[in-house]
Amino acid sequence: MKMRVLLSGFITSLLLCGAVVANDYISNGGVDSLRGDTELNTQTQAAGLKSVVEQDKPYDSDYVFQPPLIPHQIRHYEMSLNANKCLSCHSWKNARESGATKISVTHYEARDGQVLADVSPRRYFCLQCHVPQNEAAPLIENDYERVESLR
Amino acid sequence: MKWTRRQFVKANAVSAAATVAGISLPASATNLITSSEDTKVTWDKAPCRFCGTGCSVLVGSQNGKVVATQGDPESPVNKGLNCIKGYFLSKIMYGKDRLTTPLLRMTDGKFDKNGEFAPITWDQAFDIMAEKWKKALADKGPTSVGMFGSGQWTVWEGYAAAKLHKAGFLTNNLDPNARHCMASAVGGFMRTFGIDEPMGCYDDLEAADSFVLWGSNMAEMHPILWSRLTDRRLSAPHVKVHVLSTFEHRSFELADNGMVFTPQTDLAILNYIAHYIIENDKVNWDFVNKHTHFKRGETDIGYGLRPEHPLQKAAAHPDSGKMTDMSFDEYREFLKDYNLEAVAKLSGVPAEKLEALAKDYADPNVKVTSFWTMGFNQHTRGVWANNSCYNIHLLTGKISEPGNSPFSLTGQPSACGTAREVGTFSHRLPADMVVANPKHRKISEDIWQLPEGAIPPKPGYHAVLQNRMLKDGKLNAYWVMCNNNMQAAPNINEEGLPGYRNPENFIVVSDPYPTVTAQAADLILPTAMWVEKEGAYGNAERRTQFWHQQVSPPGEAKSDLWQMVEFSKRFAVEEVWPAELIAKKPEYKGKTLYDILYANGEVDKFPVEQVDAKLNDEAKDFGFYLQKGLFEEYAKFGRDHGHDLAPFDTYHEVRGLRWPVVNGEETRWRFREGSDPYVKAGEGVNFYGKPDGKAFIIATPFEPAAESPDEEYDMWLSTGRVLEHWHSGSMTRRVPELYRAFPDAVLFIHPEDAKQRGFKRGDEVLIQSRRGEVKSRIETRGRNRPPKGLVFMPWFDAKQLTNKLTLDATDPLSKETDFKKCAVKLVKV
Amino acid sequence: MKLLKAFWRKLSTPSKAAVGVVLALGFTGGILFWGAFNTGMEATNTEAFCSGCHAPIVAEIQETIHYSNRSGVRAICSDCHVPHNWTDKIVRKVQASKELIAFAMGTISTQEKFEARRKHLAEREWHRMSQNDSQECRNCHEFDFMDFSEQRPRSVAQHSDALASGEKTCVDCHKGIAHRLPDMSGVEGW
Repeated sequence: MKMRVLLSGFITSLLLCGAVVANDYISNGGVDSLRGDTELNTQTQAAGLKSVVEQDKPYDSDYVFQPPLIPHQIRHYEMSLNANKCLSCHSWKNARESGATKISVTHYEARDGQVLADVSPRRYFCLQCHVPQNEAAPLIENDYERVESLR
Repeated sequence: MKWTRRQFVKANAVSAAATVAGISLPASATNLITSSEDTKVTWDKAPCRFCGTGCSVLVGSQNGKVVATQGDPESPVNKGLNCIKGYFLSKIMYGKDRLTTPLLRMTDGKFDKNGEFAPITWDQAFDIMAEKWKKALADKGPTSVGMFGSGQWTVWEGYAAAKLHKAGFLTNNLDPNARHCMASAVGGFMRTFGIDEPMGCYDDLEAADSFVLWGSNMAEMHPILWSRLTDRRLSAPHVKVHVLSTFEHRSFELADNGMVFTPQTDLAILNYIAHYIIENDKVNWDFVNKHTHFKRGETDIGYGLRPEHPLQKAAAHPDSGKMTDMSFDEYREFLKDYNLEAVAKLSGVPAEKLEALAKDYADPNVKVTSFWTMGFNQHTRGVWANNSCYNIHLLTGKISEPGNSPFSLTGQPSACGTAREVGTFSHRLPADMVVANPKHRKISEDIWQLPEGAIPPKPGYHAVLQNRMLKDGKLNAYWVMCNNNMQAAPNINEEGLPGYRNPENFIVVSDPYPTVTAQAADLILPTAMWVEKEGAYGNAERRTQFWHQQVSPPGEAKSDLWQMVEFSKRFAVEEVWPAELIAKKPEYKGKTLYDILYANGEVDKFPVEQVDAKLNDEAKDFGFYLQKGLFEEYAKFGRDHGHDLAPFDTYHEVRGLRWPVVNGEETRWRFREGSDPYVKAGEGVNFYGKPDGKAFIIATPFEPAAESPDEEYDMWLSTGRVLEHWHSGSMTRRVPELYRAFPDAVLFIHPEDAKQRGFKRGDEVLIQSRRGEVKSRIETRGRNRPPKGLVFMPWFDAKQLTNKLTLDATDPLSKETDFKKCAVKLVKV
Repeated sequence: MKLLKAFWRKLSTPSKAAVGVVLALGFTGGILFWGAFNTGMEATNTEAFCSGCHAPIVAEIQETIHYSNRSGVRAICSDCHVPHNWTDKIVRKVQASKELIAFAMGTISTQEKFEARRKHLAEREWHRMSQNDSQECRNCHEFDFMDFSEQRPRSVAQHSDALASGEKTCVDCHKGIAHRLPDMSGVEGW
């Protein structure tokens, strides 16, 4: 039952005809997007993989509820039903010995606001909110500004 | 309790502060603190700008700029949490390249399709647009103009667009990008239940005993729902999580039963489960007899390709959604092919895993919630997949009650509230009505005060067809608003790009940022976004949420709503409508579309003074509370018809309400007595979308994908998203932290597939399909683990246009593209 | 058979020359046996051999730094799971023969069965390595040659204190470095 797409010569030539007319008009008109000024029917070299920034101090926050970024590599950090590698350093129990930043008190609150004895299961998957940063200059500068008291 | 806006803001600021301090204040204590009056940061609520979960966020602004955002602790959806994207909402509006003035391609001060973009005024922009629209209307009629809209439009923007086209230009060539995302879900709902959108709600997450993810990577795509699911799984040890996908991803981290199946065989797995339920005598007969009919769906229905395509010609019943009656015994017989052994072999999933899944569905004591997103919907048999999942829930009666819930999730913030509910699809009208139905047209014409026969009965061009018609020169004046379809639509090389750049066409793109689509446009319009305008979104659990304008847009940027309403002023009705239609409504003579559609005595009946916010640019410009007028007129369609919305002002005070809202009460589980006001006492369950209140169990078989790997193109390509970026990345990739978290697209591949082809991690690779080629980088580890023979590539990267590879095959019923399956080969660069 | 019997008679009633032959044969045989034995033992140390029975868990290492890294130095199963010292190795190999029986009986024939025993198996390895002071780690990662200036401050703190004093051994902190982890509830430090 294996079906394949077979373009008949007729359709192919039809498609090519249409494309040729429009092709004369392919130009970004001097507007840059996140692909820069590369025309839409071409492609430059794919950007190489970037490496994760490893630094010894936490990243600054721009506002109070910004989740801290991860200042280190997390390759092969297991996050599963079995284990949570992040908590083996960052939980309140382990943070003192590991010297890692303790997770925030908000992480001990259940959905209904009740304070729990251990990390709330709804916060179990750390990477939903906390991410490492790669060595890369921003694609586009961002004009966001912090409140004065945090500047 | 009714709150004024002032009280609301005050209480929020305090509760936010209280959360920071780790304390919970009693509600009355908020009155003791008045510091929010003095602080410079003003807090207000808004739904998140990204996915369909519909988290509420608190937005802090100062001196006309957003300075902070945080999860809204009062919201029942997210209870203070956001995902990484939501936490960085404060930065999405401040990319340095925000568009601040209209830009037109010109040479020597005149429009030229081959010219360079140069700034013009709004007046000039509407001049050239009106000229092009009027020419197209005069030359070829209403089918030559059209618009591609959005599930990110606010409710009133979608409604204004539907009116502008269906009631103004008299064309149905309006389709939303939700066509790429939710159309199969809509088709599934309409076929099985006769009414759109989930019967359950997010409360199911705290009630289910077993969760099944069908082609949904919730861990990355709906992180806050995933956090609720995780909470349930880890708090109640008996809860099980089944995850099905064509490759292993982050949701497998929580899976008790993870299953990787061969693409397209989900259809067979669904039928196997129905087979298991029947053969093990687990049918809920009481439910099935009272509330369902068995139907046989037409088969061999083609692949939604161009009619001359060989695959389309080979189909016996192309595009047919026909159904015939069938008995239970015939259904049982039909399912015999889908026995455990056969399906395990076809799908590649071990038999014991399939059986474990089937057992949970079959066990009357296990409450099962099924979730799905693009795995089901972006599927050439997407409607069938949706129907087949409902079959399972209907056979067991596991539906419309807490924890028992077949639940279609959405990818856009208002795919439900706007795209689906207000009728922005090319075949639809508000409140689930369709243009092909004369009664529905009549109802709409009455509410819209149109002469009889105004609304065209023939469905317009849907998303994929719009690109084909642009290319064929049949759709000539085209407006793309609030989406990035040049990057998002399939088969860029053969359909989209030749269509936009066809010299017969004039393409307008409205966007806050210069996107890939803008680069293919002729006119670019700068657009206000998110809290730069007053808005309303409807999420996946039918929750309608409002927000106020909180800051002003930059430069000359204007909201989509302003743009459409302002544009309507450019058309005298005589330039658009045929004389015989105007003759039926002579009082419209000499009026503009603006007068007929918006200043019609209904939409303009609420004065500006009713605006309870510092900012509302549209109300100021048009002189009446435009958003309220549009909403209240729109709400007439649904009230007393199962889609009841609360009064406008209510939504500004609450954290959303789930429709139908009757007598001030929202509805959590539809079709269920006691929860849904439309179900009468004693009925128990009533699927009132169908004339006799009975839902359909629809038998449809496994049929192969439109394109499968062969000797030359030897791998499956699946495309999709990553957690850190949303859709085409036009907002998230301008946030430095999100960009650096996942900078560029990569090609996820099995390490042995890479090795066999001589690739190492990080190598550049040329991915080729029959339609185009894209360069990317090899990734053999990390969050996604494809099986051998399949590669996965996210499409957020404007530099790596993944959709040059994809095939524009659609589900023939829903017209939604299958972005999850096509054949590619990998070549060394 | 006749030939064999004749040969045996010769051996049982040796001539002087025959004694020499026997000794020579025995000596060569011994060398051959020794070589074959060790070669055979080595064969049981290859990744391919391990994969014969342990395919899923062998695959798990492919994502880790012990499989693929900057310099291309990698560990294979036996580097960590088979002692390098000869007598210990023989002891471990004899223990391993028990696993053959388990394999034949299908004790961990499915992923589910394996997952159920993952913790037991992991704990056995952790125990063995904490008993031998993580000898298999140290075969490559020698404490004396660690350049602390190239390590991150938190690693330096742990290595120069707990590890140097012998209070902790490698495996106490570095668990799951080549495989997915078992259920870590109740495991010290987790």
